[in-house]
Amino acid sequence: MSTDIWVWIAAILTLGIFSFLYKDNPFYRFCEHLFVGITNGYAITFYWHRILVPSLIKPVSQGEKLYLLIFAFIGALYFTRFIPRLSWLVRIPIAFVLGYGAGAAIPRTIETSIIEQAKATILQRSNFLNLFDAISSIIIFFGVIATIIYFFFSTERKGILKHLAYSGIIFIMLGFGASFGYTVMARISLLIGRLTFLLRDWLGIIK
Amino acid sequence: MVSRRIIYLILTLVILIPLLRPFKLKPLPMKPVENLFYYINNMPKDKALLISVDYSPDTEAELHPMTIALLKHAFYKRIKVGVLTLTLLGLGLAEDALRTVVKEFNERAKTREDSIIYGRDYVFLGWQTPPLVPLLGMGESITKVFPVDYYGNRTDTLPLLQQIKNYRDVGIVVSISGSAIPMWYVTYAQTTFGVKVGAGFTAVSAADYYPYLNSGQLTGLLAGMRGGAEYEELVEKHFGKTKRRKATEAMSSQTTAHIMIIILIIIGNIIYFKQRRRK
Repeated sequence: MSTDIWVWIAAILTLGIFSFLYKDNPFYRFCEHLFVGITNGYAITFYWHRILVPSLIKPVSQGEKLYLLIFAFIGALYFTRFIPRLSWLVRIPIAFVLGYGAGAAIPRTIETSIIEQAKATILQRSNFLNLFDAISSIIIFFGVIATIIYFFFSTERKGILKHLAYSGIIFIMLGFGASFGYTVMARISLLIGRLTFLLRDWLGIIK
Repeated sequence: MVSRRIIYLILTLVILIPLLRPFKLKPLPMKPVENLFYYINNMPKDKALLISVDYSPDTEAELHPMTIALLKHAFYKRIKVGVLTLTLLGLGLAEDALRTVVKEFNERAKTREDSIIYGRDYVFLGWQTPPLVPLLGMGESITKVFPVDYYGNRTDTLPLLQQIKNYRDVGIVVSISGSAIPMWYVTYAQTTFGVKVGAGFTAVSAADYYPYLNSGQLTGLLAGMRGGAEYEELVEKHFGKTKRRKATEAMSSQTTAHIMIIILIIIGNIIYFKQRRRK
């Protein structure tokens, strides 16, 4: 059994969280609130010591990079949220963040998630070099078309459109099935991780 | 109606028993895992591996073995490694993985040449925010984005970072994450600078990213604990036995739990159809 007090604290908190499986209780809520508090405290400390002090306070206090004060002032406008009379000023830093974020993200996201993905569905000679690749490429091509048609609501589903839309449902269901299978694996993995911690690090039952 | 508590209890037993008495399983590496392994294995000597530890303790069980296996692979092959994180809570986990693997290698080392030395063989750049700054900034200069490393050293004084200046000197970035962070590397770093990207995802999100593997935007993909076990298997196959294989050790429990879930799904469906027929 471990003699490390931190392992004991972690083990007791793990059991506290697991106690929710029986029913909601004050011990579980204590562990949950402790987690939220510690995570926020850790983040605030890090932002202060790793970002604000070296990147803003230190250079400005030494009389360097004084232009940073303008950006610090704009950033500080976020706090006007707490003053109802001035709360409209919060739009200024939000506008900067949105403007920069959207400008950087939109062209690259179109490239990554639309153009490159569309290119990957185009059937080329290289897709038919072996039987497995050929079958996979045809299924992907057909699956993409059928799924897009399933979400096409501008015209009545009749004839070929109807059949393709129904095929789209099959592809969507297969996707959900794969996601569910992976979800089971993910959740079981997390439980295994905690049980391994309790058995190995805390109790020392397994090597 | 069976109480969910009974299901929880059975599930706990189904996981606990194989943990106490594991049975031997040999993970069969799948193509996405092999692609990542062999890409790293065949990387030119002057290129570095950048590992982005973008997960927090809640997904440690699934993702930490991947980081450890990647580090072992890189150190066996003497590939230069840079470690960073885009999530604050990844800092402690990245440091833990480095400490564990470096200790394992240095315990075996007989000379300084054999040892894994900070600044020469690997660097821990730490964390930088907002994520766009490191994602785009490392295309120009890594030392500008990270003027000091996690331990407070000036990065421009570290020998490794005098050779590895930006993405051009990086063979591949492998981002290990429980969220969409690997896709940020594809969207920003790959689209702008053409750097290769590999990913390690939690199983719950892995299915969403297979299209990026098919399109070649991801060089390789490790999905959940199984992905980690497969990578561990490839490392052991090529470089001999390693100290611990966390993901592989958990595979017996994973297997029994999956069998139990399948049985529950079948029983649930039989009951559902029987009840429907009765109505």
